[in-house]
Amino acid sequence: MAVRETVAFDLERIDRLIEEEEAKLEPKHRASLEYRKTAERHVAGGVASSWQDSPPHAIFVERGQGNRLFDIDGNEYIDFHLGYGAMVVGHAHPRIVEAIERAARNGTHFAQPTRDLDVIGENLADRFGLPLWRFCNSGTEATLEAVRLMRANTGRDIILKIEGTYHGHHDSLMFSVVPDPEKIGPREHPVTVPQAMGLPRAFADLVRVVPFNDLDEARRAFQENEGRIAGMIVEPAMMNCGVIMPEPGYLQGLKDLCHEHGAYLAFDEVKTGATIAYGGAVEIFGVTPDIECLAKAIGGGTPCGAIGATEELFGPVVRGEYDMAGTFNGNPLTMAASRAALTEVLTEDAYATFDAVDAAMQEGLRAVIDEHRLPAYVTGVGAKGSVIYSATPVREYRDSIGVDERITYLAWLFQQNRGVFKSPWSKQETWTLSVWHTQDDARRYVENFAAFASAVTG
Amino acid sequence: MTLKVDGARVEQLTKEQVALLAERWPRSLAFAERAGKALAGGVSCAWHALDPYTLYGDRGEGSKLWDVDGNEYVDLHNGYGVTIVGHAHPKVVEAVRRRVGLGTHFALPTEDSVVVAEHLQERFGLPLWRFKNTGSEATMDAVRIMRASTGRDLVIKVEGAYHGSADGLAFSYWIDPAEAGPRDRPVPVANTGGIPSAYAEPLRIVPYNDLAVVERILADEGDRVAGMILEPIMMNAGVILPDQGYLASLRELLRRHGALLAFDEVKTGVTIAPGGAVEWSGVTPDLVTLAKAIGGGIPISAVGGTEEVMRVVVDGTMEQEGTFNANPLSVAAARAVLAEILTPDVYGRFDQQEQVLAGGIRDVVERYDLPATVVSIRCRGSVHFRAEPVRDFRDHVATDGPLAHLAWLYQLNGGVFPPAGDPWTFSLAHTDEDLRRSVDAFEAFAAAVTA
Repeated sequence: MAVRETVAFDLERIDRLIEEEEAKLEPKHRASLEYRKTAERHVAGGVASSWQDSPPHAIFVERGQGNRLFDIDGNEYIDFHLGYGAMVVGHAHPRIVEAIERAARNGTHFAQPTRDLDVIGENLADRFGLPLWRFCNSGTEATLEAVRLMRANTGRDIILKIEGTYHGHHDSLMFSVVPDPEKIGPREHPVTVPQAMGLPRAFADLVRVVPFNDLDEARRAFQENEGRIAGMIVEPAMMNCGVIMPEPGYLQGLKDLCHEHGAYLAFDEVKTGATIAYGGAVEIFGVTPDIECLAKAIGGGTPCGAIGATEELFGPVVRGEYDMAGTFNGNPLTMAASRAALTEVLTEDAYATFDAVDAAMQEGLRAVIDEHRLPAYVTGVGAKGSVIYSATPVREYRDSIGVDERITYLAWLFQQNRGVFKSPWSKQETWTLSVWHTQDDARRYVENFAAFASAVTG
Repeated sequence: MTLKVDGARVEQLTKEQVALLAERWPRSLAFAERAGKALAGGVSCAWHALDPYTLYGDRGEGSKLWDVDGNEYVDLHNGYGVTIVGHAHPKVVEAVRRRVGLGTHFALPTEDSVVVAEHLQERFGLPLWRFKNTGSEATMDAVRIMRASTGRDLVIKVEGAYHGSADGLAFSYWIDPAEAGPRDRPVPVANTGGIPSAYAEPLRIVPYNDLAVVERILADEGDRVAGMILEPIMMNAGVILPDQGYLASLRELLRRHGALLAFDEVKTGVTIAPGGAVEWSGVTPDLVTLAKAIGGGIPISAVGGTEEVMRVVVDGTMEQEGTFNANPLSVAAARAVLAEILTPDVYGRFDQQEQVLAGGIRDVVERYDLPATVVSIRCRGSVHFRAEPVRDFRDHVATDGPLAHLAWLYQLNGGVFPPAGDPWTFSLAHTDEDLRRSVDAFEAFAAAVTA
């Protein structure tokens, strides 16, 4: 990155702007604010998932159509949140609607296999270069099975994970997701920090944490735990602190390292799979892992997950030594929606559309950043992208710690008050595009960002 | 005295029934080969693979299921007890149709999630709810809530009970008792490969229907016990009912030690009563997990708790999350199921149906002097192939497996599809004639083995 002059963010000014923008937001959501009181009587915290809250308040949704979202106050948004990146097919896509209606009429659940399965398996094999697949109902379930596959195939217990990544909320990976900077320890030996209460210490002992984009640290972890590491799970591009790209050679290096030490490499492509390219990170970065975890976008808006792996790794499952099971796995409704999403909507052409809109987003945002000399840069690929509020490149979680959350929160408020719904929770600043997003939508996003830039530097 | 069944005869009859199955399932058998090239083991869940062949489903309507060969079955499997409203119930179809046109996923709250929570509150007497997608996710959260709100690590679990596939509970489900220690001091045994023994450390395993063992654990290390999770009625070793007073006594015992009680009602949920085992037993636990039947065939689960235990969720000290939690499609279906289909007045219909099915099978058992007991509760039930009552998992292991398998094959070839080994489930759509088809197939089996 070329060195350039940047201004510093004036945090006092930002605090003042936050107050103004929150005051503007509040009257737009009277119905949501009122409704939350009803919701809180029966739903813990008034929302079904802690992350469905969108500070400063929860926004209750009425409906969605294509690239648009409508809340219960009647506000219309261009939706760049897309249900945490799951709806790249857009809301209520006619093909998905038809597939689901048909599935509903034919029965949605038997706990017996149906004929959509192998079509989806073949499509995923084509995209990601792994021959065998199993289905489940969430990203959490997919990474849970990935971890278990690595353990079952090696007879080893320890899992290596990247500091600052989220892989679902099961007990074996719910560590060092967004760890408190006070507790993370030295970079060369990061502490495995429980992300929530209720995780016994014994579970943390099975996880070693390393920084992203650093092969030497991964090598050190393998050497220090020789013969004890079952495998490593990694988001090939980190998606939790904005989009952080892997440096050239990093992913291949990880794969070689894992194999040198008799361990496996799993890609968590819950967020990147079928969004950043037809074949996700496997295609973009040219590295095929031993295990691939998918969810979100592949279900076309129904609760889905999938695990792909080599024949070797699936051996114990195929032979029945290891039960990979779940009542709703591969249910006909999810499979029908997934089949339509993968074979009819997210075809190769769709990715050319994403790339074109992404280019407009990146170009427009970059121009605003340059014009206002913001200490920020843009990163993105395919349907995913982000603005990272740092003058120096963010290569790993620790680089993002210094980014003040008030800046990202204000950027969110500016979009929210101007008709764009971005994923809430500040540092996650990632946008997602659907097949319905247009150049006009990209322009709106850029204009709102320009308004933010003028206000903070004005 | 019950009849002694001839093992050699059972083996011979099994061969005959398997051969019949192969004749009726050519497409399923062929399709299994193709599926095996893309899907690990040709299926997406270990339990979809049946012994000896996997059945590929095509469609369902009401009480009926059709396989890819066009065979029709009275469905007593109902996807492991999920579709008690029947397949493709018009109200579920309508709810799904309406919702899919409005968008199925935003990762933001919608009104239906609140309406569903209101229904669950009323049915289960617990004030606060959160949603997930599967039973596995719900029990995982229940355990974490127990640990987070007590600050303790140990969890008591019943031997032979299945609480989903998450690492923290994937122990001592379908295991060999020879590897699991003495009955009153069972050791945790991992259900499957790939689960480190560290996950067993905070688990304590107890036999079902045995208060003394729970008492001993609480006396020894009660101050370290976060709580106990159990199926109030065991549903995966056939149906096993709790002894009189068992659940209420557990409640008291745990409370005395500051530990919590969670009912895993994924299977009993809204199936055995509008308010599940909570209503049926009159015992309200600190936490309830639900899944399966509440979605009418769409993946959804829920965890409900008292205000006290849910405090860690409300104040955010235990982040409870998930992208698809309460997605609009799942909650729209659940709302239709709870508000429009499984209304309290329909449970009387289950009682009549139970008379036909469980009553009919019990009658056959008696007439043929079979070494079997029938246990049923509304739309769920099972036959234990042993003359003495089954009170816990190890009793169930001692039942006659080959005989149970043969009885299941007779059902398949008789045009009925029950799960292999698990309890049967019928739906509101099942007619008396449907249920009699199962009784007739059971009688054909009884006649053959006793001939």
